[in-house]
Amino acid sequence: MSNYFDALSVLILFSSFILMANKRIKSYIKTFRIQSLLIALAAGIMGIKGSFEEGRIDILVVCLLIVVLKVIFIPNLLNKTYANIEYKVEKDFILNIPILILMCCALVVFTYFSLSTIDGINAGIINTQVVNSVSVILIGLLFMISRKKAIGQIVGFLVIENGLYITALFSTHGMPFIVDVGIFIDVITAVMILGFMVFRINEKFESIDIDKLNNLRG
Amino acid sequence: MGFFLLAIPVLAVLLFLFFKKEKLLYMISVSASICLIIVAVLITRQVMLWGKVEYSSLGGIFYLDALSIIVLDIVLIIGLMASIYSVGYMEEEIKQGKIKIGRLKIYYILMYSFIFTMILALTVKNMGIMWIAIEATTLASAFLVGFYNDRYALEAAWKYVIICSVGIAIALLGIIFLHLSSIGVLPSSDYLDWTALYDQAEALNTSIARLAFIFILVGFGTKAGLAPMHTWLPDAHSQAPSPISALLSGVLLNSAMYGIIRTVAIVNRNLGSGVYTGRLLIALGILSMVTAAIFILTQKDYKRLLAYSSIEHMGIIAIAIGIFTPLSVFGGLLHMINHSFTKSMLFLSSGNILQKYHTKRISGIKGVLKLLPVSGTVFLLGLFAIAGMPPFSIFASELSILASIFAIKSFFLGLVFVILLAVVFVGIALNLFKVFYGPAVENNLSPGEVNTPGLMAIVTLLVVISLTGIVIPNELKVLITNAQSIILGG
Repeated sequence: MSNYFDALSVLILFSSFILMANKRIKSYIKTFRIQSLLIALAAGIMGIKGSFEEGRIDILVVCLLIVVLKVIFIPNLLNKTYANIEYKVEKDFILNIPILILMCCALVVFTYFSLSTIDGINAGIINTQVVNSVSVILIGLLFMISRKKAIGQIVGFLVIENGLYITALFSTHGMPFIVDVGIFIDVITAVMILGFMVFRINEKFESIDIDKLNNLRG
Repeated sequence: MGFFLLAIPVLAVLLFLFFKKEKLLYMISVSASICLIIVAVLITRQVMLWGKVEYSSLGGIFYLDALSIIVLDIVLIIGLMASIYSVGYMEEEIKQGKIKIGRLKIYYILMYSFIFTMILALTVKNMGIMWIAIEATTLASAFLVGFYNDRYALEAAWKYVIICSVGIAIALLGIIFLHLSSIGVLPSSDYLDWTALYDQAEALNTSIARLAFIFILVGFGTKAGLAPMHTWLPDAHSQAPSPISALLSGVLLNSAMYGIIRTVAIVNRNLGSGVYTGRLLIALGILSMVTAAIFILTQKDYKRLLAYSSIEHMGIIAIAIGIFTPLSVFGGLLHMINHSFTKSMLFLSSGNILQKYHTKRISGIKGVLKLLPVSGTVFLLGLFAIAGMPPFSIFASELSILASIFAIKSFFLGLVFVILLAVVFVGIALNLFKVFYGPAVENNLSPGEVNTPGLMAIVTLLVVISLTGIVIPNELKVLITNAQSIILGG
């Protein structure tokens, strides 16, 4: 069973590399969708396993929530937001792509070495999965600082959230159910608030370039 | 009983949805806050009698002990002051045409959701739900920070949501690791339960708990405004309407600090000493004080200056918790209370100044004492208080923290601490004391206060901080001692 999870965690890590290599807003929303699908798959396998072995169905419910919210609802919302803003410069990255990919590799290596010193995580099969999923979080952070457009930041935030979810899933086999649901509610609200703010920023600053948000200093 | 604490703000939000008349909204808001205070008094008595209040319903998530009741009482008292102040403030804003009457409803709905999320964060014992509530505070207050809807407010709100959400996400990673460290130790019904984690702290996996602490410190530290994660704070505090700045600074920062304190208690018990968490907390605390001191010295905007002073005081609290002796924890908790009251008072009186002069720039303001005799005096005394002058209460708590630093013989830390306090004092004196004097006529403003209910609030706060500076009420002392023994264990 752990083979599947190993493979899935590598695929999820891989999807965040692809995300980093995306140049256009449209394509990184698409990659985010694929990543969420992979996470839903992992949660689904874990949930089926859990329901057979222990009779708990909460992970399956969470899997359903991921499909509805992160695979369908949030990407659609982002696409709609993007379609509605007038100002459109498609390309959105500061450093060039190869450098960013190299930095991602460095992050994975860094995570590997720092987590391998922790005894509880190091023991046994859990290792690769946790390394991969913590790397997704760090790549999400790097993604946020490497994009200038507001939507890029929202996607970065969502990738961090995805990374957190799979870290919790792989390392602890799911948080308590109520906590999982609460986290989902928070993420959904956060994305809706941020999406709404993107409209406002577009209105007031005539662009969604967050470099323009530099009036408050000192 | 305790569920009233959660029910009243929800009820208030529902009432705000149905009513539209200005006067009615003010009435609902103030009476909801008064009800909350009444419940708070009763429940504080229960906590003092029994040590903690727990209910078995709803999976037993409701939990209050001396530590949470201290922070909770701060929330509710500052909440009451802010809602009384809001009446006069909002009336004036509507009169000046800065906001439309329709926005008042949104303001109150968001304000009470904000208060609700903070109460929720303080009354649960599940760390996961606490995290959810603290993240929800960001979301509820995002539009309050951006309430004026201009370019500046929008920028502040965007930074606030992005930085705090990412920071809090890192805290979630910490909580996941804390959960991981407890697997196999706790039964699954007790997962993430603070009391269970604390009771079994020695059995947790030490290296994962250490890792968890770093993430939680960075995460909640972002929300608490510790440098170098503080960058959202001056923007948000300066752009929000003044009652909201008071809530952000006096209450929200404490709620985040409360999350850190809870974790420190677990991790220190696990490690058997406070050295590891202490070093990290003291480093962040000193860095916060240094950052704040530099920016206060060169500040041109008085609301931002107050915001940087909040960073400084959060740094002081972090240092106090980091030292982790009975005296320092006592001082830290006392400082939390004193800072909240003093800083909210300052933000509320700065709101009166802002409404009179229509500028946040220090250079645009002269002769405050002539134009605004009451708010000006309160602001002046408040500045002395926040800079740590006797007889105000901050002096007492800063002194006990300083004494605890010297008691553990870290003279260098004590020296740095004193020098930084002195620099902050000089910064405040240099920048802000010139606004009180000088000719007031050149602005063509007529003297006189506008916000009468607000004056009541700020004068009450002034009386409180002056009295508690001279003598600490015995009940408060008992509560803080109880909270201290919760944190230190034993």
